[in-house]
Amino acid sequence: MRWTRRRFGSFAGASCLAVLQARAARSQTKARVVVIGGGIGGATVAKYLAASAPKLDVTLVEPNPRYTTCFFSNLYLAGLRSLKSLTHDYETLARSYGINIIHNAAAAIDPVAKIVTLTGGTKLAYDRAVVAPGIAFKYGAIEGYDEAATQIIPHAWNAGPQTELLRKQLESMEDGGVFVIVAPPEPFRCPPGPYERASLVAYYFKQFKPRAKILILDAKDTFFEQDLFQDAWGRYYPGMIEWLPGQFTGGIKSVDVKTRAVKTAGETFNANVANIIPPQMAGELVQRAGLADQSGWCPIDPITFESTLQPGVHVVGDAISAGDMPKSAFASNSQAKVCAFAIEAALTGSEQPAPHLFNTCFTFLAPNDAVSDAMSFKPMGGSIKINDIFISQVGESAEMRRQVAHQADGWYAAFIHDVFG
Amino acid sequence: MTASRFIVLSVALSLVALSADRGITANNERGAKLAAICASCHCLDGRDRGIPSIVGMDREKLADTMAAFKSGVRSGQIMHAVALSLSNEEIATLAEYLAAQLAETKPR
Repeated sequence: MRWTRRRFGSFAGASCLAVLQARAARSQTKARVVVIGGGIGGATVAKYLAASAPKLDVTLVEPNPRYTTCFFSNLYLAGLRSLKSLTHDYETLARSYGINIIHNAAAAIDPVAKIVTLTGGTKLAYDRAVVAPGIAFKYGAIEGYDEAATQIIPHAWNAGPQTELLRKQLESMEDGGVFVIVAPPEPFRCPPGPYERASLVAYYFKQFKPRAKILILDAKDTFFEQDLFQDAWGRYYPGMIEWLPGQFTGGIKSVDVKTRAVKTAGETFNANVANIIPPQMAGELVQRAGLADQSGWCPIDPITFESTLQPGVHVVGDAISAGDMPKSAFASNSQAKVCAFAIEAALTGSEQPAPHLFNTCFTFLAPNDAVSDAMSFKPMGGSIKINDIFISQVGESAEMRRQVAHQADGWYAAFIHDVFG
Repeated sequence: MTASRFIVLSVALSLVALSADRGITANNERGAKLAAICASCHCLDGRDRGIPSIVGMDREKLADTMAAFKSGVRSGQIMHAVALSLSNEEIATLAEYLAAQLAETKPR
């Protein structure tokens, strides 16, 4: 069934309808929620609020007409998926859920007057605001790598033109060339992402440029699911991928964009194609709106996702300090549902369910070999603590891994349906 | 029965009906919000695109399946994590909600 606003509102039957009508008559105007950012977190909050609480007036502010998911974009780099298949619009959210979609950017939030001002000058009054800006990059943390440099050396850590640029460069690289990936320090979006990227680009190289090499220059000494990746690299791409940990590189210091030379504390590495994934912080708006603390991320109440710095403003997704929760699309979607039901409870008096928070990542090591992890979390002592964690193991059967790859495709379809309708 | 007694009885009965209805509604709403957890992976419109549909299942079968994932009798790391985080009461509410979607998705 489709979880539409109509159905959610109609399940109660006739007598409840009367109660709803009476309540509606009591409140002269609908309570207004303005959601800023139409990524996974923002779109999920808007959809679940509109579906669960038709009495609310829900507006989603997002500059772009479409959203391209960064998750699964490594499959595009490998030539296994089109970018179009990863790109989604907001039409169903507007049409079936009655969400007001405004394609503009938010310039400012006034948490006292409770007004969001858009770059076009429009002012939106709200009873609750939700901010889901995702990540921003700390340009300058690696000397020579600024926003202009991304047009030559892509980060490809927000999907779209950056991902296309990286794919084009990989396609035109000569066989025997070196592809350098600079992996970021914690915390960053999608912990397995840089290493899945190495795996799937290796799959592409193996077919078309078998003498090519991949060099990962890491800021860290270990990485997520390291044993699973290194086992797969040995089995599928022997001798092709080399990973240099932070203790070896001493950290990534600078890049010469023209020559694609990446300088670490000890050595300079020349790349034919480079992909720099810079250190990250919460998206720009939260810095301006006073929602981020000294860490660069947004502190929140883990039961309602309301900012602890600006009352009435909630923050979800990659931009928050989420305790043990990783920065991922799944985590953002999970947080967004808890946040939506908390806002509904605050504005309509409905019962707020006990918060359940999860994360799952499907990670491809090769087209028919995927691994997954499952985590559950609980709010505890003002933060979010991990409850259970289960991760795929080295040595699982090829059949099991093939099944996980099949599930991953099914998950993507269902997840997109859950977020964008 | 006098007219006044009839009115009193009618009012009393409708109050009982109303509160029962509210009970169902509250439980249904709880179920719908728990089902939001499932919707991150399962399409709740009955389609199977690689992850099985969970609407249209018998209520008891669904609750039993969740119990099996919870205890580990049935393997599946994601379902194990989800089932472990839900109380038995939540599983019962969820199963009732998902089973009730069957009637709505059946062709009339």
